Amino acid sequence: MLKIHNLHATVDGKEILKGLDLEVPTGEVHAVMGPNGSGKSTLAYVLAGRPGYLVTAGTITYEGRDLLALSPEDRARAGVFLGFQYPVEIPGVNNVYLLKAAVNAVRKQRGEPEVDAFEFLSLVREKMRLMRMDESMLARGVNEGFSGGEKKRNEILQMLVLEPHLAVLDETDSGLDIDALKIVAQGVNTLRAPERSLVLVTHYQRLLEHIVPDRVHVLVNGRIVRSGDRSLAVQLEQRGYDWLISEAA
Amino acid sequence: MSAAVEQLRSEFDTVRAQLPGSVIAPERRSRAIAALCAQGLPSAREENWRYTNLRILERARFAPVDAHAEAALAQLPETPAGFARWVFVDGLLRSGTAAEDPGFSVRSRRSLPAALAPAWPLGSDLPEARLALLNEAFALDALAIDVHGPAAPAGIELVFVTASTAQAGTSYPRVHLRLAAGVELTVIERHLGAPQTGSLVNGAMHVELGEHARLQHYRLQQSAAQTTWFDTLAAELSAHAHYRLLSIGTGAQSARSTVHVRLAGAAAHLELSAAALADRQQSQDMYVLSEHLAPDTRTTETFRGIASGRGRVAFNGKIVVHPQARGSDSRQSLRGLLDGPEAEIDVRPQLEIYTDEVRCSHGATAGKLDENMLFYLLARGIGAPLAQQLLKWAFLEDVVAQIARTELRGEVERALSAQMNAAAMQELC
Ligand SMILES: Nc1ncnc2c1ncn2[C@@H]1O[C@H](COP(=O)(O)OP(=O)(O)OP(=O)(O)O)[C@@H](O)[C@H]1O
Ligand SMILES: [Mg+2]
Repeated sequence: MLKIHNLHATVDGKEILKGLDLEVPTGEVHAVMGPNGSGKSTLAYVLAGRPGYLVTAGTITYEGRDLLALSPEDRARAGVFLGFQYPVEIPGVNNVYLLKAAVNAVRKQRGEPEVDAFEFLSLVREKMRLMRMDESMLARGVNEGFSGGEKKRNEILQMLVLEPHLAVLDETDSGLDIDALKIVAQGVNTLRAPERSLVLVTHYQRLLEHIVPDRVHVLVNGRIVRSGDRSLAVQLEQRGYDWLISEAA
Repeated sequence: MSAAVEQLRSEFDTVRAQLPGSVIAPERRSRAIAALCAQGLPSAREENWRYTNLRILERARFAPVDAHAEAALAQLPETPAGFARWVFVDGLLRSGTAAEDPGFSVRSRRSLPAALAPAWPLGSDLPEARLALLNEAFALDALAIDVHGPAAPAGIELVFVTASTAQAGTSYPRVHLRLAAGVELTVIERHLGAPQTGSLVNGAMHVELGEHARLQHYRLQQSAAQTTWFDTLAAELSAHAHYRLLSIGTGAQSARSTVHVRLAGAAAHLELSAAALADRQQSQDMYVLSEHLAPDTRTTETFRGIASGRGRVAFNGKIVVHPQARGSDSRQSLRGLLDGPEAEIDVRPQLEIYTDEVRCSHGATAGKLDENMLFYLLARGIGAPLAQQLLKWAFLEDVVAQIARTELRGEVERALSAQMNAAAMQELC
């Protein structure tokens, strides 16, 4: 599904990713952990194609294609989904309108007709129930005035509606209360499928109790310095990152 | 004396005998011309006129258009349900019947005997009133609307159409609207033009609101693309009067409106929402002076302007709080969006306060589309042109959402998106 090789990336002239290697096979769930500022969100943005995040060396192959050759919108249409660490508020752009425009963009790419408005709405309602979101949120501006937790749920709602092939969720668990964490994890788990891959960026082992990862990677100073199975996350929870940082240095 | 002023005086001398005295008394016309000649026409060197395209005044034909173009009347939008419509073509009233009811009267002053025409307050006492003086000197007609009581229709629609080119002269639409105490009214004002005609328009409107009167005034400036459109709007509000002015400017090559509101009675309230779009080489310029002359008066101002291509958008909102206006409150939220490297935006709040007990807040920003928002939409698969359009749309929302009438809001939304699409198409070509 996703193969990253020797990835170097700079932001405003500063090198943040320094030779990162990562491979996520189809159907697997991988967790990426690491200290603040180590480059996790940078990796997520590079995957989504954010302007200003400059790849200076390395390759990213997605479903056998050169991901870096695609524009951000074409990546999304090809099935890449980024769940933002800080979802953006867009007052004046209606939530449900955004969902519909996003779904139609994918369908258009595939040569399919636009969604039927009625079917679409009932699909969205069903997913909202799953995420325990109030329906009134549909009529509001995108994330406008949403609480931190509501924004994260809205990201997952978008993911459920878009059904991506590869989802990169950047700290979707941060700022969630205990119940919300379960709801979000449930939502994510419904998307687990043999044809789909997930990358979870997280600081907490607790999320990984609900969404059990196939692999755990540790990102330190722009590189993956250690990979292992889920027990690595437990180990990190107990020992912190210092031992890995000194090992990496 | 400049060549333009010379031209102005000589044209006035030529046509003065034919100008109807019932619309404006001859002495007032002469006074207006004398004042204008003394002050000179506005020039781009003046601070308040920097963004207006005034070059046309250097070669204008000031005499009023006296054409008889009925053709333009055919393609008007539908009148909203319950509204009564009056149509001006090139400054002359062409349709809409006089209403004569104790509670509601609408009259073309041209049709009145001069002796019956009451004095008209709009004129030389306004700051920045030179274009109003020009209107006063040459106007061929004026519509006087007086509303006293419940006999009035649900609303009044005023349609101003231009059909003649600037070579044929200037059109000078003129309206006086008076709401008696306690009266509520909605007015929809449209400015349209036959396509391909570059007209010169210089309108004047005076609004008087009695105590507790409420006016909802929609103004849609959709003049033809080559038109130069000037307008002066003066309003006087008595105690507790509420004036909601919602202005959408998309038309004309160059548009300038000068608005002067006097909050003369206690707790009078001006609520102004304005949006303007300029693309190609258009300019949209608005100057709003709100004077707080009594205690507890309020001004709420919202402006959203988008400049694309080589367009220019300017909004200058000046608020003066006089010593007697204790407890007054003014808020300004002025925002401009720069949509292209050659576009220009100037949004300026100005505040003069002569008393202590006031609340004032103002915010003015001019900038580009928010990169974070844009990327969020791209990351959801929405293409760049649509994403940009959505964000522009959202930017205008604070103003558009103020349109309470759904059919009118739909119409405005269509006009805005047509203009934004045209701008997007041009970028692609
Ligand atoms: N515009 C920028 N200019 C310079 N440095 C930047 C810029 N943007 C981000 N950085 C730096 O890049 C580094 C990596 O940031 P990133 O957001 O990827 O970290 P992270 O691993 O996601 O951290 P967190 O766990 O706090 O979310 C940080 O040191 C940050 O300060
Ligand atoms: Mg981060």
